[in-house]
Amino acid sequence: MAEPYDVIIVGSGAGGGMSAYHLTKSGLKVLMLEAGRDYDPVAETPMFNTNADAPLRGAGTPDKPFGFYDATIDGGWEVPGEPYTVAPGSEPFKWWRPRMLGGRTNHWGRIALRFGPLDFKPRSRDGLGYDWPITYDDLAPWYDKTEKLIGVTGAAPARGLTNTPDSPPGCLMEAAPPRAFEMLFARAMDAMGIPTIPMHGAIVTGQMEGRNTCLFATPCGRGCAIGANFQSTTVLIPPAKKTGNLTIRTDALVYEVELDTNGKAKGVSFVDRKTGVHHSASARSVVLAAGSGETARILLNSKSPKFPNGLANTHGMVGRYLMDTVGVSASGHIPALEGLPPTNDDGQGTEHIYVPWWGYDKQKALGFPRGYHIELGGGRQMPSMSTARLLDADDTSVGDALRDRLRTRFGSVMGFAGRGEMIPNDDCYCELDPEVKDRYGLPVLRFHWKWGDSEIAQAGHMSKTFAEAIDKMGGKPLGHIEMDGRKAIKAGGEIIHEVGTARMGHNDTDSVVNQYGQSWAVPNLFITDGAVLVSSPDKNPTLSILALAWRSADHLATLAKQGAL
Amino acid sequence: MTDAPEIYVPKIDRRAALAWIGVAGTVVAVGSSLEGCGPPPIKPKYAGGYGTDPKLNPPVKAPWPRILSQDELQAAAILADFILPATASAPSASKLGVPDFINEWVSAPYPDQVKDRPIVQGGLQALIPKLVKGDAATRAAALQSLTTATDDVGKTFFKRFRALTVGAYYTTPVGMKEIGYIGNVSRASDPGPSAEVKAALDVQFKKLGL
Repeated sequence: MAEPYDVIIVGSGAGGGMSAYHLTKSGLKVLMLEAGRDYDPVAETPMFNTNADAPLRGAGTPDKPFGFYDATIDGGWEVPGEPYTVAPGSEPFKWWRPRMLGGRTNHWGRIALRFGPLDFKPRSRDGLGYDWPITYDDLAPWYDKTEKLIGVTGAAPARGLTNTPDSPPGCLMEAAPPRAFEMLFARAMDAMGIPTIPMHGAIVTGQMEGRNTCLFATPCGRGCAIGANFQSTTVLIPPAKKTGNLTIRTDALVYEVELDTNGKAKGVSFVDRKTGVHHSASARSVVLAAGSGETARILLNSKSPKFPNGLANTHGMVGRYLMDTVGVSASGHIPALEGLPPTNDDGQGTEHIYVPWWGYDKQKALGFPRGYHIELGGGRQMPSMSTARLLDADDTSVGDALRDRLRTRFGSVMGFAGRGEMIPNDDCYCELDPEVKDRYGLPVLRFHWKWGDSEIAQAGHMSKTFAEAIDKMGGKPLGHIEMDGRKAIKAGGEIIHEVGTARMGHNDTDSVVNQYGQSWAVPNLFITDGAVLVSSPDKNPTLSILALAWRSADHLATLAKQGAL
Repeated sequence: MTDAPEIYVPKIDRRAALAWIGVAGTVVAVGSSLEGCGPPPIKPKYAGGYGTDPKLNPPVKAPWPRILSQDELQAAAILADFILPATASAPSASKLGVPDFINEWVSAPYPDQVKDRPIVQGGLQALIPKLVKGDAATRAAALQSLTTATDDVGKTFFKRFRALTVGAYYTTPVGMKEIGYIGNVSRASDPGPSAEVKAALDVQFKKLGL
């Protein structure tokens, strides 16, 4: 490899892709190291393939947990040969990792919501959690730029809802038209005094320079061969490559940041996952964007006389304040949706509407301090191995009766997912496992997890809301809706929003990096993934990771030009 | 139903069947070729599965060997066609290869399928004397009694087998059309629900007071 580079970027997902996009465009020579294999969305995306052509009709298996056609490669809840552990006595924790160029941006949910002003100052609001060193206004211009770059739908007249920012005119493409199940749900929510608004989806649904428009078919989770939705591999990496400033090496699992005698980062060590051979690469600065868990692991593994407990970990902050999103699911059978005239419910990949949190002014009365939003699914989706769920539990019909019932009920099941804010706590963190090593002999992460009472109470409220909504629509729960929040809440990590292991802050004792993702301890080391998040609001984190990464990369580029690195 | 059920002929081609025989050999060969020149080989957690990086486009075929006997397959065909017989406009379950899929499912090395294996294969075995070897009257009575089973084993078997049959049938292009799925086609825009859909919904809104 031609060395030295100006910047080594570890990771190629939202944080790494955006960092590469901006740094290469700023004229810096960048080496991107990705642990997974190379990936070509154009050739590999199974657009329009039917379940009939897939093994097990596309049903999920431990090899492909989100279904055969899900874009994730060589991973999921387990990566072969690269385990992680959960500490004895901890609540369950799950860690989703792919091993592919573009990381999780290839399969993500494409829900692209901005954090709001209160999300940056939670402690100031109610004394819980921690304030960010920046405000919403600091990040707003970067949200604007990010939305315009990646392509986001959901434009609507400004509502001015609390902590639910309206993007300025020109940032978003037109909102998707609600489908029948969404129109019914919106009526039910309205009757409960709860607003529904257009979902912001990272999908190009209108005309956009240099991008293809959505085909309004085939699920986004498979990836998009025409690049109509946002993936690092279709939207960020190609233009970065075009600058001539980007070198990509795949199958390169970085495990250590190397320091020079002055204590500055001089490069990284990595193992080639195919050959097992260890390599080094050097650069004037290093950006970690390997994902919150992997980024923390690299820091903790980078031990030196100056940093015996891991790089930038003098105050024990690395791995701390790990957060996920509170998740609860339920579904209902809604007879009002039965027997509608034929309709094509494939639309943009995300739901077309959603429920932003509506209870900011009544948290005390509700008995939990932070809110959640509601995502929904339904309509006439491509049949799958769960088609028999349309039938009642005691139904044993066959023949014409069975055919009629399925045809009538097709499209009458609605699913709800609550996604809520988690308050960081001292019991949720990751560290190096003292014994377990991966197949390369490298220490693995050990997770500690405990949901707080706030999250448990919030989860119970999600179930209550879903049950009420199903009832309002004249429906019945499909299966049991668990009202006990402790039982209803998903496992830590299960929503795949793990963030906050190297948070930004006001000084080197309360955080790992400053507001630009720049390490307090090593000034030419930056972090641009979800690790820097200080809070984990209900809004899905990807858009914020992209905006923060762009802001950080811009700062890095400025410092590089000044020769300050 | 007709007196003598058609003999079920698997719809898998010979090449695929031969590939299953070679599966175990392939895994060993890949593993041993890496020895001595790199990290220790990764032993697949689910031997015989399609692995964590299967070809999606076009999709690989399920590589594992199939376990159902010809009699079990025949019982599956008779039962699948009892659940979804042919109609004037739609083919029967066996015509769409549903028994082959049942075989693919119960033969798979993954936990959900391994859990279903004794339920489905055991149920089919128990039905062979009546469904496959029995006369028409015996067969008809046995099929009918499945829908009214009161014992847990019988109920679980029928529910699971029917769910697999329904899933297999309605995921085919024919089944998708039959159930009313008209998506998975490229469109220039998403016009949203039609006036007819909106009118039908309005009736429901009024009924529900929404």
